[in-house]
Amino acid sequence: MLDSHILLVEPEPMLRRTVIMTARSLGMSQVHEAASNDAALRLLRSRTFHGAVVAVDCIGRGADRQYDLGLIDRLRADDMPGKAMPIAIMAEQATAELLNALRERNISRVILKPFRARVLLETIEQFGAAPRKS
Amino acid sequence: MLIAAKPDNEAARLAALYELLILDTPLEERFDRIAQFAASEFDVPIVLITLLDSERQWFKARVGTDVCETGRDISFCSHAILRDDVMVVEDALQDPRFADNPLVTGAPHIRFYAGAPLTLPSGLRLGTLCLIDRRPRTLDALDLGILGTLRDLAVMELAGTEEKTDA
Repeated sequence: MLDSHILLVEPEPMLRRTVIMTARSLGMSQVHEAASNDAALRLLRSRTFHGAVVAVDCIGRGADRQYDLGLIDRLRADDMPGKAMPIAIMAEQATAELLNALRERNISRVILKPFRARVLLETIEQFGAAPRKS
Repeated sequence: MLIAAKPDNEAARLAALYELLILDTPLEERFDRIAQFAASEFDVPIVLITLLDSERQWFKARVGTDVCETGRDISFCSHAILRDDVMVVEDALQDPRFADNPLVTGAPHIRFYAGAPLTLPSGLRLGTLCLIDRRPRTLDALDLGILGTLRDLAVMELAGTEEKTDA
């Protein structure tokens, strides 16, 4: 599955590096790492991806607190190559509001805390093996 | 109990270990972080980063125990450094090398052990990153891959090498 390119957006360096290095050592898909949304946007300009695993954070305070899905919207934008690629998000908890927002964005996989490298690698393996959609 | 033989390159191995000036130094966050991550990832009660001195194994990082060293003669890691790959003991009570080991028959009551050797670029194995559980367990290929990566990160810290990332 080395011809598959998967984007991993995860700010925590230990988890990110463990996933990247293990995927490489096991000959899984080529995983490209980004520590932030800005770094992910730079990578998106450089190549087409076949799947993405993205950590989403909350923004705002109190009643206005909500998950920042800006990068997900960018990944699904009409002008984005691979806009229909499978996407998994990593979130602290699954609220009804979040699940509705993800459904609207055609995202069916949510990974909840505690995040384990094993779960991310299994997801990446599935995305790498999935039939390609344009 | 079977006491592990010393590696053929024991003198060079000890010289490389002493050259690092790391034995008996304080705990360090860069090693603790790896051990804590491993404990969480594999859901094991004890994780150690061990270094094999001439007559003892000393722990540079430890999760789940306050003990900072044990005798080398009873250490699982002295067996693990004799090979390149990860040494997995799925159930120590079923393994004649360890069934009557005092670390199995007494505290911390080891049943499962997986030790990934800390191999320097020179090929010398200084110790291990090891997972310990009080119940029998198995590891699959993905687990072994993750443990191998965490071991590589520990070796990078030991050897002072860093992998380039594009994040």
